[in-house]
Amino acid sequence: MNDRFEVPARLRSTSLLLIGVGVLALIIAFFTLMGSHSTDADHTRFWAGLLHNSVYFAFIAIISVFIQAASSLAHGGWIVAYRRVPEAIGANAWIFGSIAALVVILTILVFKDHHGHNPIYHWVHPDGDKILEGKSAFLNKGMVIGFTVVTVALWGFFGRKFRSLSIAQESAAKNSTKGYFKFMIWAALFLVVFALTMMSTTPWIWIMSIDAHWYSTLFSWYVFASSLVAGMSMILLWVVYLKNNGNLSIVNKEHIHDLGKFMFAISVFWTYLWFAQYMLIWYANIPEETTYFITRQHGPYSILFYGGFIINFCMPIIILMSRPSKRNYFTVTTMALIIIFGHWLDFYQMMMPGPIGEHWTIGWYEIGLLCGFVGLMIFTVSNTLSKASLIPHNNPLLKETVIHIS
Amino acid sequence: MHLKYESIVREPLVDGNKTYRQVTEDIISPIEKKPGKMWYIGFFISLILLGFGAFSVFWEVYFGIGVWGINRTVGWGWDITNFVWWVGIGHAGTLISAILLIFRQGWRTGVNRAAEAMTIFAVMCAGQFPIFHMGRVWDAMFVLPYPNTRGPLWPNFNSALLWDVFAISTYFTVSLLFWYSGLVPDFATIRDRAKTKFRKRAYGLASFGWTGTAKNWQRFESLSLVLAGLSTPLVLSVHTIVSFDFATSVIPGWHTTIFPPYFVAGAIFSGFAMVQTLLILVRKILSLEEYITLGHIEAMNKVIVLTGSIVGVAYLTELFMAWYSQVVYEQDAFNWRIIGPYWWSYWAMMTCNVVSPQLFWFKKLRRNIPFTFIMSIVVNIGMWFERFVIIVTSLYRDYLPGSWTYYSPTWPEVGFYIGTFGLFFTCFFLFAKYFPVVAVAEIKFVLKTSGDNYKRDMAKEDEKSLEEFVHENSHH
Repeated sequence: MNDRFEVPARLRSTSLLLIGVGVLALIIAFFTLMGSHSTDADHTRFWAGLLHNSVYFAFIAIISVFIQAASSLAHGGWIVAYRRVPEAIGANAWIFGSIAALVVILTILVFKDHHGHNPIYHWVHPDGDKILEGKSAFLNKGMVIGFTVVTVALWGFFGRKFRSLSIAQESAAKNSTKGYFKFMIWAALFLVVFALTMMSTTPWIWIMSIDAHWYSTLFSWYVFASSLVAGMSMILLWVVYLKNNGNLSIVNKEHIHDLGKFMFAISVFWTYLWFAQYMLIWYANIPEETTYFITRQHGPYSILFYGGFIINFCMPIIILMSRPSKRNYFTVTTMALIIIFGHWLDFYQMMMPGPIGEHWTIGWYEIGLLCGFVGLMIFTVSNTLSKASLIPHNNPLLKETVIHIS
Repeated sequence: MHLKYESIVREPLVDGNKTYRQVTEDIISPIEKKPGKMWYIGFFISLILLGFGAFSVFWEVYFGIGVWGINRTVGWGWDITNFVWWVGIGHAGTLISAILLIFRQGWRTGVNRAAEAMTIFAVMCAGQFPIFHMGRVWDAMFVLPYPNTRGPLWPNFNSALLWDVFAISTYFTVSLLFWYSGLVPDFATIRDRAKTKFRKRAYGLASFGWTGTAKNWQRFESLSLVLAGLSTPLVLSVHTIVSFDFATSVIPGWHTTIFPPYFVAGAIFSGFAMVQTLLILVRKILSLEEYITLGHIEAMNKVIVLTGSIVGVAYLTELFMAWYSQVVYEQDAFNWRIIGPYWWSYWAMMTCNVVSPQLFWFKKLRRNIPFTFIMSIVVNIGMWFERFVIIVTSLYRDYLPGSWTYYSPTWPEVGFYIGTFGLFFTCFFLFAKYFPVVAVAEIKFVLKTSGDNYKRDMAKEDEKSLEEFVHENSHH
């Protein structure tokens, strides 16, 4: 049973190449977008692009930690065959979290336009804006940076803790369940942290506060659903890759079918929250709230607004509905790529209309950064995967997962 | 044959040394006996409550809706509170039968039948409230859209209240079908054992001539899957649409985007609490402790602590956003909820729904039956107050201070509510007497994987190495 993964040279060089593209894009952007002939709009694009990508990938990484916590508390046997994948992504949550935190902090502290305002986080300088002054007990530099640092520290800690607990189980006595139940206690603790960060405060401070006047109680849950489906797709991509590489021999179509079902179901769940948020704001028609959707649905962002809906809802529901398509490696892999890109666009349309305004572009810079983060994800996760057995030996649910039927 | 194997970390779902025959005997035999004295007392009390409810409703229909305490400012009071409360309770059944089926949760088999029955009775109770709230109840058919002789008069399709009519009636229909189709093989079992001619006829009729052939089972399985597929979106949609009744408005405290998922979580929360209340009694009275085990109770308590915490996050999010929005109306609405004249309802809601369920983080308490029973009632008190808080404390101080008011119910409103308890328990007593309260066929389905006696034989699988195990089972 081939349960060791050695990073193939091709994968390593691809990941380094992608990281190189990302770094190059950043360096070129630093000299052009931030250069001496650049405008405020260029500066904003520089920071907003970084913020968009780093926040998205931090969320994808933390979702892997959440999936481990949720599935182990529910005694989920289905995921055990490939749980090293979410473990490896989660163990690198501290890297992606730290990058996001660094970008958020720099955006707050360093970034200014030539009037001295902050075009991304307007609340940094309320300048007599009554509403922003009213919010300043929460939206102020100290509070937001404090929340950011504590959140990322906790995420990073749990991501690494989960993996080390799971690996410790390998050396436990045969059929010992002690480690299994110990994991559940940590998983329960993580869910509390998760509720207070991802399910509430983190999307407020990182994303919602970009449109600093606007508010929606559902917002964080919506962001969570968006990240969850992207995170699930990310896990699927790794599982399929490892399978093609000759690893994960105990994974079969039943397990792929499960991941396909989750991609389908969470896409529908995302749409449910999308609809709930949109419909209630549209129906009540309160100007303070509709302004958010007016800038997105009409004008230059409308292509992202409708296109995102087609990519993130219509495509998954039509393509992943049938059983054979969820059991077909090619279909699920393609859909996972589409979903990850679709929700990257969704994050883009959440974050850009405020700072960038009408003249948005997804060009060399944005795609370059995306490549960089993808490369970093491949590099770090493959590295972590190679450090331990891919089969979680001794896990009390391992034999169930072998005979699992989707 | 697929290997019947389950991990040692899972508790048995059926305790004791059960055979298929023993399962049938344990669950069906109470139906064939005369009910005990307690059954008659309980049934009689339920009938009295139902009678009192019918009288209260008669009073309201005869004298008009003015006999209720609701007024121009507080147009929705106990009636809609009770409506939402009962619909919410009616969520657990479909969640258990559909969503837990899709998630392959074996423990649902012990509790799904009673939970589905409870769902149907709860939705029946819920439906009464908006109907009699109409006042002129004889015009109730006006909510139904059909080509009619009333000229161009159609219901208002833009109204969330009309969506509710569709949502609730669809939900009721699908839940009923789901419940009934599950009952068919069990009715046939009762028929086959029947000693009296009448019983044989009655259950024979109810079982649609089920013979238990492979084809029967195959069709049964596909029907279950289709109904589960239909019910899954319904579990979300019903309470989502109930939440739209409030959230589509521009009333502070009602208009908030988190309502749809948070209502669904709250509904599951209260539904599971009601299932606990009923099943803790049923398992004791009908001696079904080996089928509705401590493990089942613990699993449901986990759902309660999860959904209670989701609801808690939603309450705090709402509260925070009311401040964060910097909209004075929102801020005041929440301020008055907390320290206004109805402060006690807000704090009752917070205590019962958010604070006390947190005790279920402790395994000892999750497996403590008296504690669970008390908590299940506390949760439903809390969930009733949640609806009261949302409805009454958002309405009683409206935009015009001149119309601020304080609302208390009158006896026909309270009587109506009590009457729905009568209806609910009358139905439930009849169900417990004439229907198998645990799904016999479904218990048999999980018996050889999760039955205590069968699980003991799995130790030899656990002794095998992974390679050996994979080798033996990798031919599918």
